[in-house]
Amino acid sequence: MKPSSDPSRTYKWATLVCAVVAVGFLFAAAVRENISADWRRYQANYKKILLAKATDDTARRTAERFPIEIRQVTVPTLGAVDRCVSCHNGIDDPRMASEANPYKTHPKGLLKIHPVERFGCTVCHQGQGAALNFQEAKAEDYFWDYPLLPASLTEATCNSCHDPDALPPGAAAKLVRGKKLYFEKGCASCHKLDGKGGSLGPALDNVGLKTKHQFMRAQLQGSQTVWNWMAEHFRDPAKIVPASLMPAPALTELDTQALTVYMLSLRQREIPSEYLARDKIEEKYARLHPGEPDGKTLYQQYCASCHDTGLFTRWDKKFGRFVPGIRNSAFLKTEEDECLLETVREGRPGTRMPGWGPKAGGLTEKELSAVLGYLRTSAPFQDLPPAPERGSAERGKVLFNHECAGCHGTDGKGLIAPALANPVFQKAASDAFIAQTIRLGRENTPMPAFGRAGISEQEIGDVLAYLRQWEPKGPPAQRAGR
Amino acid sequence: MHEEPSRRRDFLGLAAIWSSALAMGAAIAGMLRLPKPAVLPGPLRVFKLGDPAQFAVGSVTKLEAANLLLFRDEKGFHAISSVCTHLGCIVAHNEGEGFACPCHGSRYNEDGAVIAGPAPTGLPWLEISLSPDGQLEVNAESQVNRGTIFRA
Amino acid sequence: MTSAQEFLKNLKETPRNLRESMLRVGHAPETDRERSQSTFHNLFLHLQSVRTHRASLRFSYTFGLGLILTASFAVLTVTGILLMVYYKPSTDLAYQSLKDIHYVVPAGRFIRNIHRWAAHLMAAAVFLHMARVFYTGSYKHPREFNWLVGLALLVMTLGLSFTGYLLPWDQLAYWAITIGANIANSPREVTDALGITKWFDVGGFQKQLLLGANYVGQEALIRFYVLHVAVLPLAITAFMGIHFWRVRKDGGLSRDVTAPAVPAQIAGRDLNVFAPTKTYGLMAVVRGRTPVVGRAPEGSVPSWPHLLWAEMAALMFTVALTLVLGYFSDAPLKEMANPAIPENPAKAPWYFLGLQELVSYSAFMGGVGIPSIVLIGLGLIPYLDRDPRGVGKWFGGPEGRGVFWRSLLFGLLSVLALLTFTVNFGWLRSWFPQIPQLFIIALNPGTVIVAVYMAWSLWVLRRSQSVRMSAVALFTCFLAGFVVLTAMGSIFRGPNWHFYWWPSQWPVH
Repeated sequence: MKPSSDPSRTYKWATLVCAVVAVGFLFAAAVRENISADWRRYQANYKKILLAKATDDTARRTAERFPIEIRQVTVPTLGAVDRCVSCHNGIDDPRMASEANPYKTHPKGLLKIHPVERFGCTVCHQGQGAALNFQEAKAEDYFWDYPLLPASLTEATCNSCHDPDALPPGAAAKLVRGKKLYFEKGCASCHKLDGKGGSLGPALDNVGLKTKHQFMRAQLQGSQTVWNWMAEHFRDPAKIVPASLMPAPALTELDTQALTVYMLSLRQREIPSEYLARDKIEEKYARLHPGEPDGKTLYQQYCASCHDTGLFTRWDKKFGRFVPGIRNSAFLKTEEDECLLETVREGRPGTRMPGWGPKAGGLTEKELSAVLGYLRTSAPFQDLPPAPERGSAERGKVLFNHECAGCHGTDGKGLIAPALANPVFQKAASDAFIAQTIRLGRENTPMPAFGRAGISEQEIGDVLAYLRQWEPKGPPAQRAGR
Repeated sequence: MHEEPSRRRDFLGLAAIWSSALAMGAAIAGMLRLPKPAVLPGPLRVFKLGDPAQFAVGSVTKLEAANLLLFRDEKGFHAISSVCTHLGCIVAHNEGEGFACPCHGSRYNEDGAVIAGPAPTGLPWLEISLSPDGQLEVNAESQVNRGTIFRA
Repeated sequence: MTSAQEFLKNLKETPRNLRESMLRVGHAPETDRERSQSTFHNLFLHLQSVRTHRASLRFSYTFGLGLILTASFAVLTVTGILLMVYYKPSTDLAYQSLKDIHYVVPAGRFIRNIHRWAAHLMAAAVFLHMARVFYTGSYKHPREFNWLVGLALLVMTLGLSFTGYLLPWDQLAYWAITIGANIANSPREVTDALGITKWFDVGGFQKQLLLGANYVGQEALIRFYVLHVAVLPLAITAFMGIHFWRVRKDGGLSRDVTAPAVPAQIAGRDLNVFAPTKTYGLMAVVRGRTPVVGRAPEGSVPSWPHLLWAEMAALMFTVALTLVLGYFSDAPLKEMANPAIPENPAKAPWYFLGLQELVSYSAFMGGVGIPSIVLIGLGLIPYLDRDPRGVGKWFGGPEGRGVFWRSLLFGLLSVLALLTFTVNFGWLRSWFPQIPQLFIIALNPGTVIVAVYMAWSLWVLRRSQSVRMSAVALFTCFLAGFVVLTAMGSIFRGPNWHFYWWPSQWPVH
């Protein structure tokens, strides 16, 4: 048969070419997997280091027998299969203290108290333990939820098993500092943690377990990691989350890092109790059984972010309104305890003031009283002169629109001054309180003393009648008549 | 029969066939490697037991997770596997009497040597060493000769 | 010879006898007769006929697509079984087992890549194969039924792809299957609009059948696993057997019987043999001049070795291609499935993205209505077009070629125009937010394009007075629509299914 007439000639060529390509790529794949893997090179080098360091025969024999193979630490209780030790061969060998990475001993002797075979690696460092090369073990910009924590932030995971405050001095310093900052800076005014805190911002209970996909990263420049998001966000919240109400906490670089560490440490991962340090269990217990509350500290943690010292009414640019000065003595003189407590407990619907009672902000009745006690330090309540009889709502309306609506808004919806149609205000404020406020005004606020401007008791009664038209329908409020 | 000139096989066809066979062979060789795991699942079979000083002379420590017994006497340490060499059941240790297997009645003396039953060899003695960080370390994957005593 | 001697002699000859008993002939066939016999007497080879027509071996006629499909299925079977060795179908373990396959299983990563690429290749080839069969008129009598078998194979191939998509249990899998399951649920759009869901809830039934729950979870994973590794492979193997058997029984590959005959050659000599309708009956034993029946002397060559070479080439091509692709490009594996974080955009495998584009207008029409119309239409083709002319010729001749190009142009332009309009101006709901859902189901870009294509095909029918031409027009239009919609879904749709010119323009979200 002449080759030219062979109908299969094309197919033979195709077979030959494809087979040669296949052999080539099979060979290349075999080389790639079995010879050129990074961990093989590292283990070969480590073997050399072992041989060089061997002083006696036993050590030399052990070094010669050092097998080149994939190594892993399996910790079923923590769900960890960490292959980091395939390259970090000397991680728990004190002789390797002066070697370079990846052969180096773990710094600070931490593995003495956290044996690698009991803890693995990723429970502290995060990262992709399954991977066998550094880039994918580090897993930044990779399809992995928890990339390797940078060394400067690794302290975050200590919080999983330790109470940061019970650690020996100097250990996890950033974590301790971050935790302190969280309460000093009044983060809890807006963010809930363990059920305690305001509701203007998101709860932070598991913020350390959130993945980058759960953050708005449209404005985030640079590394797309959770920690970079947090650091950038602390520098300027509104730049990362447009229209964010959060004020820039004005932190130094170190404090930014500390607060980031604390944020990353907030994770309620189920960790078997045998891994928990004793102090962690005590910390949890202490949280459930708080000691005697201190009103001033509570005020700093939960109120000061918005009310500042509370001595003056404060104009808030982001809220676009005045925040009342709640420690203002003129105000406190006219405000009964029950009324104050009610406002703190329930908040002011329609304003930014959240409720702080056990069902809302998570403060116990005891703590609420402590806060009240602190507020009262600036002025005790003085008995109010009685309010005039309620008069004509129609006349009151004319008067209100003329004198009050400029600040309190038509229909009492509130502009720069508080909304008087607010149901909690209507419930909490007695006629006597309102009448006295109209008479004397409010020191250190724009509320003038109408009494001095010549308002008559009857006119006050008319305004009262008009205001009470906004009282929520339903059972009549208890104090309305007083 | 027929006059068939194609008895001399064409070179192209042969090359194609043999290179395909080579490719298939290589592929099959690669695929056959797959079922043998490159790294065994489960925890490491090297057990760190802590400071050697914590074991009293004359004590026997049973490590259930590792299926081994650690003996400490005046001379030093030795570790004996508690996996029967017959068919892998776990032998029971009775102080002074030796080991007895519940499955097929193999018996071993205190040193792990066979004294009765179908077991082909004695219970293996396991390698003990001191880890670089100063802990007693038993490698359950590595055997030593019977009678090898480790002195800490 | 004593019995002991005989025993020894037999023992000595065992290797040779074993070989002979295995091959039946005892050695590689050398004559045409032996070649015929070896084909005839071999379980695997006897699937094909003893002699193959030269036209069937022409690469430009078939592009070897059927063989590539078979070969990629073989590759998928082998690699799939290997992957099963390590894969654990549990929501807790599946993802970790994929990571193990990727990082530590010997050759695991490469084998998984090959599996993935072979699946892509098979999906691509199944569409192309169908187009080839359609355009060469190979579905016509007596091959109508085999066209239906082929359609079943198409559906099963896509089903295999779809079920395999969930198994890695990563974000990609989880959200693509969530969408897929809700497409199965989409008949509720209609039943809800009609208010009959309470009595007739076919959507909910389908979804529950698929997922075993009303969310994608462990029940769904095990169902998909069983479908992927047992039910569908067995079914597809059985249907492939029927498909091949019918190819043979229906007279081999279709060919142009009106083409001038090429004389058959045996031993390099032209000779005329009579043209049989059943080629397998002719064991190439007939020699010399034989009576010519009809006008078509057979231009055939022995299947051994010529068809075998074509098969070999297709197999090696498939293997080499998947090896190369698998070497350079890893199969995707995103973060572990997390029901709290939706993928955005959540995209199905590419061959479903045309449907996903339609689904973005109406889940029911895009996911159930239009695919059903297309499948029913495809199934009816051989029964509506019974004109025996034009079999075995691309597009059935020059007229068909013209219709093809015109329809391609029309199909592309109309779908592009419609998409441009939709992207720029929105659709009914953007203009009348209160419009009832039934209107949207009935009138959306998907149904509009189907109607436009049908109108075009009717126009071609009127002009050409040929059902075949009308079918070519419709098929071509749908092909154009499929390609454009698939490209739209794959490339030009980003987060929130917004239009982007290129994925690099996607905002970080």
